[in-house]
Amino acid sequence: MEILDNLGLGFETAFTPINLLFAFIGVALGTAVGVLPGIGPTATIAMLLPITFGFEPVTSLIMLAGIYYGAQYGGSTTAILINLPGESSAAVTALDGHQMARQGRAGPALATAALGSFFAGTVGTLALALFAVPISEAALLFGSPEYFSLVVLGLIASIALASGSVLKALAMIVLGLLLGTVGQDLVSGTPRFTFGLRELYSGLNFVSLAVGLFGVAEILRNLEGDITRSVMVQKVKNLWLTKDDFRRIRGPVLRGTGLGTALGVLPGAGHVLASFVSYSVEKRVSKKPQEFGRGAIEGVAAPESANNAAAQTQFVPLLTLGLPVSPIMALLLGAFIIQGIVPGPNVIDEEPELVWGLIASMWIGNFFLVLLNLPLIGLWVKMLTIPYRVLFPAIIAFASIGTYSIALNEFHVYAIAFFGILGYVLIKLGNEPAPLLLGFVLGPLLEEYLRRALIISDGDPSVFVTRPISLVLLLLAAAAFIIAVLPTVRRKREVVFEEED
Amino acid sequence: MNMHGARKDLLAGALFVVFGLAFAITSSTYEVGSALRMGPGYFPLVLGSVLVLLGILIAVKGFVAGDTGELGPVPWKAAVLIVTALLFFGFTVRGLGMVPSLLVTVFLTAMAGRNARVIPAAVVAASLTALSILIFVIVLQLRLPYFGPWLQG
Amino acid sequence: MPQGHSYDAVAHPRLGRTRPWAGLAAATLTLAACGGGGGGDVEAAAAYPEGDITFVVPFSAGGPTDTVTRLIAEPMAEELGGTIVVQNVEGAGGTIAAGEVAAANPDGYTVLMHHIGMSTAPSLYPELPYDPLEDFKPVGLVTEVPMTLVARSDFEPETMEEFIEYVKENADTVTLANAGIGAASHLCGLLLQEALGVELTEVPYEGTGPALTDLVAGEVDIMCDQTTNTTGQIQAGEIKAYAVTTPERVESLPDLPTTEEAGLPELEVGVWHGLYVPTETPDEIVQELTGALQVALQDQNVIDQLAELGAAPSSEEEATPEAHLERLEQQIELWRPIIEQAGVSAD
Repeated sequence: MEILDNLGLGFETAFTPINLLFAFIGVALGTAVGVLPGIGPTATIAMLLPITFGFEPVTSLIMLAGIYYGAQYGGSTTAILINLPGESSAAVTALDGHQMARQGRAGPALATAALGSFFAGTVGTLALALFAVPISEAALLFGSPEYFSLVVLGLIASIALASGSVLKALAMIVLGLLLGTVGQDLVSGTPRFTFGLRELYSGLNFVSLAVGLFGVAEILRNLEGDITRSVMVQKVKNLWLTKDDFRRIRGPVLRGTGLGTALGVLPGAGHVLASFVSYSVEKRVSKKPQEFGRGAIEGVAAPESANNAAAQTQFVPLLTLGLPVSPIMALLLGAFIIQGIVPGPNVIDEEPELVWGLIASMWIGNFFLVLLNLPLIGLWVKMLTIPYRVLFPAIIAFASIGTYSIALNEFHVYAIAFFGILGYVLIKLGNEPAPLLLGFVLGPLLEEYLRRALIISDGDPSVFVTRPISLVLLLLAAAAFIIAVLPTVRRKREVVFEEED
Repeated sequence: MNMHGARKDLLAGALFVVFGLAFAITSSTYEVGSALRMGPGYFPLVLGSVLVLLGILIAVKGFVAGDTGELGPVPWKAAVLIVTALLFFGFTVRGLGMVPSLLVTVFLTAMAGRNARVIPAAVVAASLTALSILIFVIVLQLRLPYFGPWLQG
Repeated sequence: MPQGHSYDAVAHPRLGRTRPWAGLAAATLTLAACGGGGGGDVEAAAAYPEGDITFVVPFSAGGPTDTVTRLIAEPMAEELGGTIVVQNVEGAGGTIAAGEVAAANPDGYTVLMHHIGMSTAPSLYPELPYDPLEDFKPVGLVTEVPMTLVARSDFEPETMEEFIEYVKENADTVTLANAGIGAASHLCGLLLQEALGVELTEVPYEGTGPALTDLVAGEVDIMCDQTTNTTGQIQAGEIKAYAVTTPERVESLPDLPTTEEAGLPELEVGVWHGLYVPTETPDEIVQELTGALQVALQDQNVIDQLAELGAAPSSEEEATPEAHLERLEQQIELWRPIIEQAGVSAD
């Protein structure tokens, strides 16, 4: 019953008034900033991180973690309301979430996101508390070859994100992969496609790409002459889920949570993979796959749950091994160091109050998020009544400041303009932007893991099939690919898909 | 407009071919290496070539299938205004500072709206600038100077 | 070190112990500071500091260099009687930040914190738009973080002597991890290969986290990295450590011999940090900053926190422009042939 003792200790720590207060402030601030268009979770955390440096270690980490999932939550809200994902996993939520909003169902979409996230967060936290050690050992089984195979599987699965032509989706993925190569090559240091601009050495910025492809392109679509697309949302029907909605989201939430819990542990892009793999799973198992991309509530429930479960289990390697699996976890690791705590496998024994307090606070934070956001749904939905002539300049203004201030780099602002035009043209020509975005996120990983695996194996490509986990993942990828391009399936997809205008 | 009905796919294919070529040609100026000893040029070269291939397939398929997608109107004025606005911001945010730079940027953007008029756009610009200052400088404490060195003689 | 693609996690709000709602009060200050941050003459020097001083950190918030900066910024601000704002400007191995400070107003309100990378940049980046010696005035050294030579836990050699022998014999199979071009681990790795006279297979990672993960998992053989990153793992027995690369042993790892003791004195490297201002900055202002730095380095909290990182603050003699300049010149000369010989170029 050690676990109970640990959790007891955790809740004792987290339930002090000061820690409760800062957990709440953390999620509230995170949500508030994350919801600004053009400011994703990463930028939110970076902006708010130094605020926490002055506090006690436990309080500081509790608040930081609160900011993290608050920001993620806020990012999903923006994705649903105005189709502007602040990070890659929210790009998946935007697909159906924004369609729901357009159909006057922003309320249920937001409620689904909140409830799914809370459920997933609870399960994720429990998994973290119960199985932290075995989970972290599993994470160590993934070397570069396994990772490469997993990313391949993820990329294949992302074809399912497109509701249109498979060929075009593939082309968009490849274009995204190529855009991901912009910047300094990791192995040789050679700057690629940077036009000699040092500002591009670190690569293109995700938020610029997302704001351009989704935000600006959408604005231009909406300003297309007189053929008015239903610019803003139709009359809001209801704010809450119907009985039927509840029935429909049950499965997706459960499956999404499972996938997210498992994939979140993996370094790199675990939670990105989680959200869109869960989306493609739902699309596959659904009896009405044609509804995906046009406002299927399952398409919001699954990725939001996956994303949030992964957000919790991401902490496993950090807390048990002292190893950060994502840039955000690296920031948290930095917070440990600033607080004078040596990160490493011993932290959990040496600072049990800190670790278990943080774990308990995550659950509390998720609870606060639900409390905070369910009543706010009405308010968010009201935001949709802001006249468009005010809304779109606001998007441009916030995105300009947000992307510029991330690194005081004006090229991130120019990139918005470039990708806005590119995105508009691509969308106009019948291509969907989501696969490009995922290619962009996964591209650098694909190349990095591939090349590293080959460097370590001394140029022997058989590592990808002699290592069992890698082999299984590649076989799954092959199966997924066959299903995706199978002619019958394809024909069905094409009939289903017709540009809405 | 409806030349062959397949203009969308043809154009899309062509665009992918152009991008694929641009990446592939540039990649070949980097060290390429071999499949098992990849240089910095290898990965983008292969992907660029794949993109060219996909572009051709899309165009050919569009030509054969001939779907009837019409391009529809293009909001030229809005596109030019928004791009100008973003470039202006990037260009001047350091020199002019946040306030003047943002005012002009938001004004230009607001003018991109349908039936936009000068005075309402100016009002939008002023209020959004004020709101941005409130959020970013006052609440989030970002160190973005209000007025930059260009305005200080 | 090449940074991540979507990883631009940076922050530059106020330092330390402010609360979000304290913003309103500070806003008026900001306005005043922004209005008057222009001129940089003797007049300004007399009243220095009059507004916010910006410390530019070339790496992400939360990283080791950022940590050191924030640590000393607070006591320095107190001593100077002003406010210090930490600003992270990432990218291109820290050369973007350095380039920006080189071009900044030489009025003492823009200060660069940089580490060993300041001395390797001219060799790594042939097209560097600034010269570390010509375009900057050093203010003083801050600290030197020692590095440790570590390996996966089941790597054969047990001692440093065995390690030297083993790596020499198996040079064609041993893999050496690093956290990216120009990262401290990369530099230390280059020096190690030079000292042993071998060429190992270098395995680059995007930052220390993933490199260390693969080392713990046993995917790669060896690495050389800062104590900041390795101490926890060494203490827990997740990785094997052979030596520290500084002349003296490290308090938190007392059993670990120095490379000199273990018979590899050529491998001496530490991640030294220093403060810089643009070269035209008046000497009086540099003196002010140096003075404040020296006071900050004696702050008990700074000493304690640095000790947690396995580092010690620079002595009063080191925290001077002269000692700093000497170190910079010596390091530029040290690294040039090593980097050239390895054929590494990041431009």
